[in-house]
This record gives sequence, structure tokens and C-alpha cells, in this order.
Amino acid sequence: MSDLLCEINISDIDLTDKRYKILFSEDDITFLARSIKETGLLTPPVVRPLNNKFIVVSGFNRVRALIYNNRVHNNETKIVVYKTKPDTTDYQCLLKSITALAFKRPLTHSELIVSTRHLSQFLDKKQIAKKSSALFNIELNVRFVENLLAIGALPDPAFDLIHGGNLSFKSAKRISSYGKNTIEIFLIIFSKIKASNNKQLEIILHIMEISARDAIKPEFFFNNQAIQDILFDENKEPGLKTKNLRAWLFEQRFPTIFKARQMVRKKIKSIKVGNNIKFLPPQNFESQNFSISFTAKNYNEFVASVQNLRAALGKKELKEIFNQ
Amino acid sequence: MKIDTLFIDKAIPRNFETDYLISRLKTDPQWVEDSKTVYDFINDGDDPVSKAKKTLYITQNRGAVIRECPGTSFYTCCDYTILHTGTFCTMDCSYCILQAYFHPPVLQYFAGLEALAHNLEKTFSQNKIFRIGTGEYTDSLIWEKISPQPKFLVETFARQNNCLLELKTKTVNIESLLPLDHNGKTVIAWSLNTQDIISSEEKGTASLKARLEAARRVESKGYKLAFHFDPLVIYPECEIQYKKVIKQIFEHVRSESIVWISIGTFRFIPKLKQIIEKRFKHSTICYGEFIPGLDNKMRYFKPLRIKLYKEIISCIKEYAPNLAVYFCMEDEEVWEKCMGFFPKKEGELGHLLDKSAAEHCRLNSNFL
Ligand code: SF4
Repeated sequence: MSDLLCEINISDIDLTDKRYKILFSEDDITFLARSIKETGLLTPPVVRPLNNKFIVVSGFNRVRALIYNNRVHNNETKIVVYKTKPDTTDYQCLLKSITALAFKRPLTHSELIVSTRHLSQFLDKKQIAKKSSALFNIELNVRFVENLLAIGALPDPAFDLIHGGNLSFKSAKRISSYGKNTIEIFLIIFSKIKASNNKQLEIILHIMEISARDAIKPEFFFNNQAIQDILFDENKEPGLKTKNLRAWLFEQRFPTIFKARQMVRKKIKSIKVGNNIKFLPPQNFESQNFSISFTAKNYNEFVASVQNLRAALGKKELKEIFNQ
Repeated sequence: MKIDTLFIDKAIPRNFETDYLISRLKTDPQWVEDSKTVYDFINDGDDPVSKAKKTLYITQNRGAVIRECPGTSFYTCCDYTILHTGTFCTMDCSYCILQAYFHPPVLQYFAGLEALAHNLEKTFSQNKIFRIGTGEYTDSLIWEKISPQPKFLVETFARQNNCLLELKTKTVNIESLLPLDHNGKTVIAWSLNTQDIISSEEKGTASLKARLEAARRVESKGYKLAFHFDPLVIYPECEIQYKKVIKQIFEHVRSESIVWISIGTFRFIPKLKQIIEKRFKHSTICYGEFIPGLDNKMRYFKPLRIKLYKEIISCIKEYAPNLAVYFCMEDEEVWEKCMGFFPKKEGELGHLLDKSAAEHCRLNSNFL
């Protein structure tokens, strides 16, 4: 059942109704507008008649570009569209919207999330997985669809964060299992910092574990002044905020380990063996093996490092490091 | 936990032992060709671990009946011998490694008293001391009420003099053992913890008070005892609580009856954490200061372990200066700092424990 190619007034399109929109952000459409001006509209958008107006099923950006041209050049009042038939269902419109994009380019995670969220009104997770190759141009297993649906249930700001790369898919999945208030604090945190997937997961883990250990709610822990100071410092870059937040959380999560590391670092520094000598304590202090190493380009450098080490022999801090 | 499904391996003969089990279980048995039916049944559910705890599979041991305890090269092992009588457990400790050890875990009871006797005879005839336990892959006394096996083992060990049987438990299932002639060769051992940890992490186990009462009762029947503080869990003021437990031990039993006390802090393979988080939502046991150990298990940061060990050891030594106290899986530094010595040579720790076993259980000391 094909849609009808026809011409309609641009002003009859209601762009505020975004029920079929799966494209995530509002892209800059000036280039597209220029291209349409130069070469014309190659693929007409698909619209659905509704209450004497039309809503967009597919081609939001094309419609926006034409409106832009209309505003700038004031010469485009009509638009060629595919109009869906009156008996086209909501579900069919949604399929058109998803497949139009998915068979043009691979969908991003955010688009997959929004698509599955819409589809879940009509299909269950198993059906979505089964139809995935036809819908998304990629095969998805039930587990992945389940994850998409779980993330799809997050509040809207999460999608902006995912789209902007501030919240990874795995982190989004992780926080989707928490309560509303806890989800909110993580959305605030990830809107203020910029961290890799692993670092995001570490931050989530530490906050949840500290809260569980101390029997306080994560949102209560989030109100800690130190966290607030780090996140809301307008002079700090998101990268630096991430670093500071991770360091502070580590100290809270592993206070004894943190103190021990600080103390050994301080002592190693006080021995002053020189920058050329690497003095590393055993990893996590579980083994007893310290590692002391240096490189030498020539005999003189070798002698200098040996002398530095020899000078360190008399320092009480050196003995303390080994005998603690 | 009550057994609600009973599978029995068709290959095992119907005899006194199986009839004994069936008559006491009060659950209609399903006779199965192989274990696949059991595995499928257990796996078909959201929480196979919990399901497995209520599903008993009576079968035979098709592997080694007697095996050496698997230690690791990084931490000192005590050269223990395992008598493999079953797997998994009806109790539900959050930290139980068995949840992650078997795929899926199956509550198996290995029937076949003759096979046990046959394998043990070979061990009894060696000129060597053995410390043999059934509590590595299961709790030694979970089936005491429905099985003749504990009684059989106690009486079998009573007839030899180079092997000690250690029955390690968190139950108080001792009734059938009390009247037995054990000839001093059976040690009944309790894993102990603070009542805080028992209440929060050891679901379905006996209370601390009940365990110590049971220890007192078996001691009165001449049984030797052992206690295992494993896992020690570090939490605020835990030292005070563990010292109280130690005090309670010596209020209940005489130090001379105790063959050994082992201590070991909580450690876990990383994947156990996910299981604990999923199955025990309120448990915070994994949120201590853990670091990856040399054997890839997560362990408490060493200075924390040492601090707790020192307190516990000095407290035990106050009550019983000569009691054999040992670490389960610790390294040289911990031994040196807490005990003042390290059983460095291979077999040295085992030998120390063999000596205590020989003294307390009147084993043939010529084999030491
Ligand atoms: S009693 Fe032992 S075997 Fe049973 S659940 Fe607890 S730790 Fe596991």
C-alpha cells in the first residue's frame, strides 16, 4: 500500500508533533536547505494527515530546511510530500519513520533506544528482536532489546547525554536499574563531567557502594559538600572535574588504601632519589616486592643514579617504607 | 530450607541407605536416567541457585571420592584431604563460594556407603597421617537427620588410627552422633562468626549460641572440636565482636578439647560479587576495602587483615596459649607479622596440624 505523492502547503505541517521522530538532535539544516535550493528535493518527506493538518512521519530535517528556505527566500510555499493513506495505522507510520532512517545509515544508540521505546507500544521484546533486521537493518538479540527498553525508560535528559557522549550505553544501562532519585543524581553528575565509559562505570560503582556500605541513600550522599564543590565549580573543565571526583570517591571508598598510598608516596618523595629513579611500592601492597629501576644512557648517568640510591640508604623513611 | 523436589539417579541401587533417605525426606522421588533432567529443572527459573537449594539429587560420585584440597602457590595451604560426599548446601550464606563454583549448583548427595568404605580403606592403610573433611563442597551435617552417612563415617573412622575425620558445619545436627563410639577420631568443627554476621549473611544457619551449645554437648560425649573463623568480615567494631565470640567459645568448652582454630578473612572470586548483589540485596559484605590478591581473588587490603588477625590471635592465646591456630590461605608476611613465624617449607603447616591431630585424636604418632 503506497503513499500518495502530492503537493501541500508548508504551513499545514505541524512540526510540533514529534511522535514519529527518532532522529535525536536538531541538526543544523542550513546546508541541507542550500542543497534543496540548488538541486531540488530528491526524496519527499512522508506526512500523515491529522486534524486538518499534517504531521511528519519521516523527513523532519527536510521539512525544516524547506521552512528555512521559505523564510529566507520567501518563495517556497508548497512542498511535495508522500501523504499516508487514511487507513495507515500508527504502527505503520512508526515503521516508515524507523526504516527510512535505518536503511539510509546505521542508527545510533540513542536512535535505537527511542525507536524501541516507541515500538514497545505495539511489540514485545521478543517480537522486536525477531523483526530487528527488517526494522533496524541490523540483527539484535532479545537481551540487547531488553537493554534498549530499560534505557528507554530513563528520563529524557539521559538521551541528550547519551547522544552527546556524556553517558555511555553501559552506564545508562547500569543506572536504569536504580530508583528515580538515584537516576537523577547520575544524570546531573554526567551532565557536569566528561568521562570515558570505564570511568563512568567506576564513578557509578563507587557512589553506589559507598552509599550501601554507609546505609545512606545515594541522593543523600550526592549532597555531600565535596561533590557539590567539584561538580558546580564553574571554573573547572569537565575533564578536571572528572579527575577530582574520581580521586575523592576513591578516598571515600578505600580510605585505608588511600592513606597508605599517600603515606608511601610522601616517604618516597622525601628520600629524593632523583627523577631518573622509579621507586614503586608493591601493587596494592599485597605482594612484598618493591620495584626500583632506572635507565642510564652512559656510565656517568649510571654512576649518578647509583650514588643517589646509596645516599638514600641512610634515610629513615627508606627503612620505614620497607618495614611498615 | 525444605527439599521440595527429589530426583534419584536410576543407576544407584535401592538399598538401606536410599530407603533410609527416601523414608525421611517425605517427598515423592523422581527417578532419572541422568543428571540432565536435574540441570534443566534447576536452570529453568529466575534464580537457579535458590531453586537448587530445594532440589535434592541423590546420585553416586563418579569422580574421585578422596582428593587433595586445591590450594594455590601464593598462599600457604594446610594439605587437607577432602572426602567428597556431596555438593552444595541447603543453607544460604551470602558469601558462599559454592554458588559460583558449580554451573549450575546442584544439591547432590552421593549415595554408596560401600564405595566410601572402600576408598577410605586405602587411605587407612597408608603410613601417613591424614586430616580428612567432608565440609569443602557442602556442609558436613546438613543430611544428618535424614542420612545414615555421618554415623557410618564416624564409626568407620573409629576403627583406624592414622586418619582424623573433621565434620565441619553451621548446623546443630548432632543428635545421631552423640551416642556413637567415635574412639576420638572424629572432630566436630563449627564455622563461627559474630551474631551480627550470622544474622545478616548466614541465612538458615544455627545461631552462634546454638552452635556453641552443640559444641558443648558433643564435647561432653568425648568428641574433639575445631573452630573456623572463616570468613572473618571486617566491619565497624568487629574486633570487639570477634573477641566476644572467642570468649564465648572458652566459656562453653575446654581449650584441651579444641584440636585447632583456623582463621581467614573474607575473600572471593570476582564473579561471586554479582551473585551476592543479585541474591542478597541488603548485603554489604563486598563493599569492604578489597584488592585483587595474587590468586586473583579479592581480598581485604593486607594491613586491615593483619590488624584484625593480630587482635584475634592474641585473644585466643590469652585463653589457650598452646592451641594450634592457623591461617587458611595467607602469605609469609601475614604469618610473620601475626604469628611470629612462617611455615615456609612445603608441608610444614600440614605437619603442624598433623601433630595436633595426633595428640588430640590419639593417631599413630610414628607416622608424623
Ligand atoms: S553453610 Fe557453608 S556450604 Fe552452606 S551455604 Fe553456608 S558457606 Fe555455603
